[in-house]
Amino acid sequence: MIVKNIYFFRSKVAQWIKLAIIVIGFIFSCRKFVQLQVPISNVNVGNVCSSDVTAVVAITDMADVISRWLKLTTAMITLVFIFSCQKYVQVPAPISSINVGNVYSNDPTAIAAITDIYSQMSSGTLVLASGQNSLSYFAGLAADELTLYSGVTVSAAAYLYYTNALTNVSGVDFWNSLYPAIFSINSAIEGISGSTSLTPAIRQQLLGEAFFLRALCYFYLVNLYGDVPLVTGTDYAVNSLLARSPQATVWKQIIGDLQNAKALLSGNFLDKSLLKTSTSRLRPTKYTASALLARTYLYTADWSDAKMQADSLINNNAPFTLSLVSNLNNVFLANSNEAIWQLQPVSAGIPNTLDAYYFILPSTGPNGTNNSYLSTSLLNSFENGDQRRIDWVDSAIAGGTTYYYPYKYKVNATGSSTLTTEYTMVFRLSEQYLIRAEAEANGAGNGISSAISDLNVIRNRAGLAAYSGGTDQASVLAAILHERQVELFTEWGHRWLDLKRSGTINTVMAPVCNTIKGGNWSSNWQYFPIPLTDLQADPNLAQNSGY
Amino acid sequence: MEISISGRGLLCTFWKPLPLQLLRVMKLTAILLTLVCIHVSARSYEQTVSFSGKNVPLTAVFTSIEKQTGVSFFFNYALLKGTRPVTLEVRNQTIDIVLEHVLTGQGLSYYKEGKTIFILKKQEASGTAYTSDGGTTTRQIDVKGQVLNHERLPLDGATIIVKHTTKGAVTDGKGMFEIKNVPVDGVLEISYTGYQHKEVPLEGRETVSVELALANTSLDETEVIAYGTTTQRFSTSDITTVKAETIEKQPVDNPLLALEGRVPGLFIQQNSGVSGSGLSILIQGQNSITSGNDPFYVVDGVPFNSQLLPNLGGSILGYSRTGTGAFSQPGNPFSFINPADIESIAVLKGADATAIYGSRAANGAILITTKKGRAGEAKIELNLQNGWGQIDRKLDVLNLKQYLQMRHEALKNDAIITPPATSYDINGFWDSTRSTDWQKTLIGNTAEYTNLYGSISGGTTLTQYLIGATYHRETSVFPGSFADQKGDIHFNLNTSSVNQRFKVQLQGSYLADRNVLPPVDITPQAVQTAPDAPKLYNPDGSLNWAPNATGTSSWANPLASLLRTYTANSNNLVSNAILSYQLIPGLEIRSSFGYNILGSKEISQVPLTYYAPETRSSRVNTANYTNNSSNSWIVEPQISYKRILGQGRVEFLAGGTIQQGTANGLWLSGSGYSSDAELSNIQAASSVTVTSFTNSTYRYNAGFARLTYNLREKYIVNLTGRRDGSSRFGAKNEFHGFAAIGGAWIFSNETFIKNHFKALSFGKLRSSYGTTGNDQIGDYTFLNLYGSDNPGIPYQGIVGLTPLGLSNPYLQWEETKKLEFGLDLSFWKDRLSVSGNYFRNRSSNEILAYSLPIITGFSFINRNFPATVQNSGWELTLNSVNIASKAFSWSSGINITIPRNKLLAFPNLANSSYANLLIVGRSISIIKKYHFLGVNPINGEYQFGDFHGTPTYTPASTDMTAVIDPTPNYYGGLENTFGFKGFTLKFLFQFMKRIGLDDYFGVTDPGFTGYNQPNSVLNRWHRPGDITTIQRFNSNGSIGSQIGRVTGSDAAYKDASFVRLKNISLTWQLPPNWQKWAGFQNTNIFVHAQNLLTFTRYVGIDPETLSSTNLPPLRILTFGLQTTF
Repeated sequence: MIVKNIYFFRSKVAQWIKLAIIVIGFIFSCRKFVQLQVPISNVNVGNVCSSDVTAVVAITDMADVISRWLKLTTAMITLVFIFSCQKYVQVPAPISSINVGNVYSNDPTAIAAITDIYSQMSSGTLVLASGQNSLSYFAGLAADELTLYSGVTVSAAAYLYYTNALTNVSGVDFWNSLYPAIFSINSAIEGISGSTSLTPAIRQQLLGEAFFLRALCYFYLVNLYGDVPLVTGTDYAVNSLLARSPQATVWKQIIGDLQNAKALLSGNFLDKSLLKTSTSRLRPTKYTASALLARTYLYTADWSDAKMQADSLINNNAPFTLSLVSNLNNVFLANSNEAIWQLQPVSAGIPNTLDAYYFILPSTGPNGTNNSYLSTSLLNSFENGDQRRIDWVDSAIAGGTTYYYPYKYKVNATGSSTLTTEYTMVFRLSEQYLIRAEAEANGAGNGISSAISDLNVIRNRAGLAAYSGGTDQASVLAAILHERQVELFTEWGHRWLDLKRSGTINTVMAPVCNTIKGGNWSSNWQYFPIPLTDLQADPNLAQNSGY
Repeated sequence: MEISISGRGLLCTFWKPLPLQLLRVMKLTAILLTLVCIHVSARSYEQTVSFSGKNVPLTAVFTSIEKQTGVSFFFNYALLKGTRPVTLEVRNQTIDIVLEHVLTGQGLSYYKEGKTIFILKKQEASGTAYTSDGGTTTRQIDVKGQVLNHERLPLDGATIIVKHTTKGAVTDGKGMFEIKNVPVDGVLEISYTGYQHKEVPLEGRETVSVELALANTSLDETEVIAYGTTTQRFSTSDITTVKAETIEKQPVDNPLLALEGRVPGLFIQQNSGVSGSGLSILIQGQNSITSGNDPFYVVDGVPFNSQLLPNLGGSILGYSRTGTGAFSQPGNPFSFINPADIESIAVLKGADATAIYGSRAANGAILITTKKGRAGEAKIELNLQNGWGQIDRKLDVLNLKQYLQMRHEALKNDAIITPPATSYDINGFWDSTRSTDWQKTLIGNTAEYTNLYGSISGGTTLTQYLIGATYHRETSVFPGSFADQKGDIHFNLNTSSVNQRFKVQLQGSYLADRNVLPPVDITPQAVQTAPDAPKLYNPDGSLNWAPNATGTSSWANPLASLLRTYTANSNNLVSNAILSYQLIPGLEIRSSFGYNILGSKEISQVPLTYYAPETRSSRVNTANYTNNSSNSWIVEPQISYKRILGQGRVEFLAGGTIQQGTANGLWLSGSGYSSDAELSNIQAASSVTVTSFTNSTYRYNAGFARLTYNLREKYIVNLTGRRDGSSRFGAKNEFHGFAAIGGAWIFSNETFIKNHFKALSFGKLRSSYGTTGNDQIGDYTFLNLYGSDNPGIPYQGIVGLTPLGLSNPYLQWEETKKLEFGLDLSFWKDRLSVSGNYFRNRSSNEILAYSLPIITGFSFINRNFPATVQNSGWELTLNSVNIASKAFSWSSGINITIPRNKLLAFPNLANSSYANLLIVGRSISIIKKYHFLGVNPINGEYQFGDFHGTPTYTPASTDMTAVIDPTPNYYGGLENTFGFKGFTLKFLFQFMKRIGLDDYFGVTDPGFTGYNQPNSVLNRWHRPGDITTIQRFNSNGSIGSQIGRVTGSDAAYKDASFVRLKNISLTWQLPPNWQKWAGFQNTNIFVHAQNLLTFTRYVGIDPETLSSTNLPPLRILTFGLQTTF
């Protein structure tokens, strides 16, 4: 009995020790531990956790030197350091958000990342297309297109654009919005380029869209600000010290990106899967890239290339119908045949365009929200009988005053019962006629005569007679500029950019600014100011003169 | 056959790799063995034995005794070789008699320890031996013995040192020790944490049994520290412990509130008077400029969250803010820990105490230890109390006459002759002769307070248990049926193997809470509603909206707010298990396993009836729902070693931590229910949106070690190190090392001091220096994350993904270097004790939003910044026993903290985004405000100094030149305890000196429609030439925006110091003979009160919350009975 008891005692000790050692060994071997988790992120594979073997060896050692406490202590300290397992503390991203590595490793999330740029353009977060911070609105106010409601406070951004009195704190909307978009795009270009797991067709289309979007952003940056920092990567350490690049360099980048985009983009409109075509014109195609390329060549005075790109659109080589819509009331409808690219409305409770929502005045006239209307000078520039003056302009009479407002987009009803019938137009065919006309007037193709015939296509559609003015280059160019004013008014700031590149901005803006808006026009104001915060944070940035 | 009494010889021999199958069998065996051990232990061994046999071997006798009594015999077989068989006939004799009989003349002796009987070789008589060289030396003997506690239970890990030698030992699980070659006249010095030190002269004995008495001074009481225990006597760091006996005397719903005024260096502020309110807690000041400043909380070894997940309680519960840190959430997680389950709360402040917690303890640590079972017969304890709560203060507001006078004067000032149609309070629509005390009506009710606690505990020497249960109910002071109800179960089970080497400790608490409150505090309405506002109810019992002639309600009935309800159902489980095994005496391996889960489901409803009747047609009813859960588990394997080295004892601890925490939260908003009755059913909503979705994982991994050396109980050195990694930091900086050194010199043990300063009973000088870190920056801030972006209608049906920010893989800990010096003195046998502590904590590597040009994509990036924040201060504690006679006793204690906060360095501050927030050389809590220039005596308007000091009525933000520092100048507590026969009276005054925003200037523009004001507005400007502090009354808002400017000026920050009778308790212990008659052991009847009186000059409802929009802390008075039987 006693012998048994002692065996009992002894074997029990043995068991407990072995059990304890194995338990600890198990706990300490954190590779096994980590394997329970399926990490969905690309954790750093270089830092592989200490192996089981190391831990078990250490524990075996521990058993051997158990009577020599000093060695044991050393072993334990070693163990403590082995125990610090780097892999363990690298957590996968939360399921409520996704790590960048994962976004571009599968099709749906990669599509979602690029699609978000369109969504932001449409919602007005990216202040180009829509809303009360849009280019159509602010650049229309800054130029001679829109008049601001007198009730708008003097500190409002709209007032500052309208009075051409921007400051380095309050006239910085486009800069502050376009560069974050460029970060997203650069991040996408890096992510998609480095990804091997995307479906090839999707990868190609997304990369094309990303190049196209970057070109679009820089197109507006270089036009609005002149020389701008050229950010083409995501490393903040590099980007935060960039200086402004000369405009020529930026234009070169835009053209390069567009050529890349044109090569990569699909020839037809695609649906959300990016694998099937769609009747909705909601994603850029290679023709959209051509449209911006045509505009870019025009702006950089590369007349023959401008004409060539416009040709490809006007000749309707695309697998979808691209033609001028004869009824002016139907030009801005969703999936209009004239559309080269449109944006779907996305704002909650506003099923149609934000342009309609903000430009269409209520019967009570302008107010704090609907606070702009067409300027007298724009209204006066329509020729008699211009159908666009009838179909694209409407009015509200309040307090004995008639307020005319842009009526290209006609549906401003809110609520879920309203159907979406209009999309925001980004590129449309009629601009391409005017681009080609201008390129021809400058010597491309058949010169002045074809310029006039292209001009007449637009005039005829508006119910006007053929151009009857002088056929010298200056007259024709002036006629084209005028036609652009009445065709493309309150669309994407065309007027503001046209005034600048045609060199007429000072002569046009000085009287408007000095007499109507109550300012004192300065030629410096054709470029918007760079935000003070950026000037403070980046020692290599310099302000535009005059601010 | 070799048998060894100690396990020492066995260990090396049986390590062989084990097949897995065998391991499984062994595990099972282990479990069974444990059960057997428990079973055996339950049997009594103090029995008599009977034996009958002729010429039987000794072993047969032993076996028979084992069978009959359950004792075990241990001996070396070699000893029995030469023994003769015995013949014996005994009946019902004690073991001793039997053994005396059979061992006589065998050259053997025995001794008992616990249930084990050791058979030993009989020693010869002691004397002086002669050495071979002819000299004399003291004869050496081998000493064996056992160390027991006051309940005669073995003490595991007690240290024994042979005086004036370097010999010594540490007891094993059974309290046994053995020291070889001890001088026969040696003296053993025996010590154990929490017990009185004892010296035992051997006087030739080879076996000794020593019983240690419990510590009788607070100096020797056990203090819980990180991964172990110590005493105030030997501690090298700044630790304050608050025990159950103090906590249970305070009627609080959150155990942390029981620390108010009791812990030097700990700043606590209750931010609302409702149950479950948010608390602001800072240990030794604010270290981090923008990250969290919460202490590191540990409940029974398991880290506990310092903040709840984002929830709906914001406007009613108040936020748990700590400094300017961004991680503040409403409510407080410790509302879900039951104060009655707590044995002690230790507040760790200095480097030496906190460095072992590494990157998480820069803001100090608070360790909560729950109650444990004790061996003995089953003991039932009951603590039943019932009481009432009321707001402790009211704001002095204008009475009806003063109010009407103010309104009329305001109209006159604005040159308005006829009161406007909407000024119902003075245009005759309301009855302006009828006055209501709205504070009394809306927040003046009496809350009921009930707390019932019962526990049963007991056990044997091997197994102890405790099961406790609590029911807590606290209603509100608002009209209506709002209540917070909690049910809690706490258990603890300790068991060990018969040889006391393998031990298991298991404990857990589960608390379920249902808190029903109004979702918005109506304190503002109580303070601001006009005194002549209409009656709350119509005669038919419906809410009175007092509609005017056109049917428009003339006021917003404050009770409508209470038709909204906020219900939070929370569940909290805190559990942990510790398994330990003693390899050899002093060397123990152990591992703790902890798990906790805190879940909460909330519903906040806005029924249509909340809105004025005429507006309901254009309103929709809404409800918000949250479902939050955060859980974490932790495994901490450790090894500890304790032995005698030289003339001192050394303790070594090493271990590792693996921890994971996950948080999941979902917040849904519903609107458009067909009926208010369906608001709690989300399915009935016509529209549901996901307001937020939280999902995060936090992982933590560390190795740590601590080495303590205590030389002759005079010189103590403590070295601590930790290397830890946190998933909150970037790939480049996940791991970091932290270390601290602490030392103490107990100079009162020096002979010189002993001989010359007899009054000094204890004197210690201590200091520590080390580094700790702060990782409270939120999860994933280093990751390059994309989040969903849906403005309303998905583009092409695709919900977009957008980058959330710039990632910084170099992000790392904020580091705090802590330095402290302390001096602890006790006089006249500890009648008076004084403790002083100076600390200087410097936090650097601050994580700040670093401004970037937007061309990088984002305007900032979180970056470690070489800004340095210093918190320094003095903490003084004085305790004295003033009178200690048999009938009457009086003792006092005072503690005071004088904190200072200073921004030492901030490179390029002027060009950073913090230029307007911080000043180098000042506290980081400073706020910049307008400089008030008084009321212009000509027109009666407030004037402020602009940037140049020129008076202006409309200062801009750049004119905020006045610097306000709301950091307390000092704070502390004063406690007195009186005992007279069976009565004990204790009271604690809490005091704080600081400045804060008060309501002197009114909460809204004085004179404006329908708002009552504090009395102070009567000091208004009346006519040109008046020199006043309050601008002219104004009814039309023409100078109404000035109220925002004046409350944003330096003048609004006034003395907000206060002295509060925080806690008072009167206990009457029933006379012993009454108790004996009733069969009770320890019974008393008590009255407890919290927040009974407040003395302050603060103009506002409460100087602690510094807010007129939150309910002040309640004054709670309870009566109760505590008994044990």
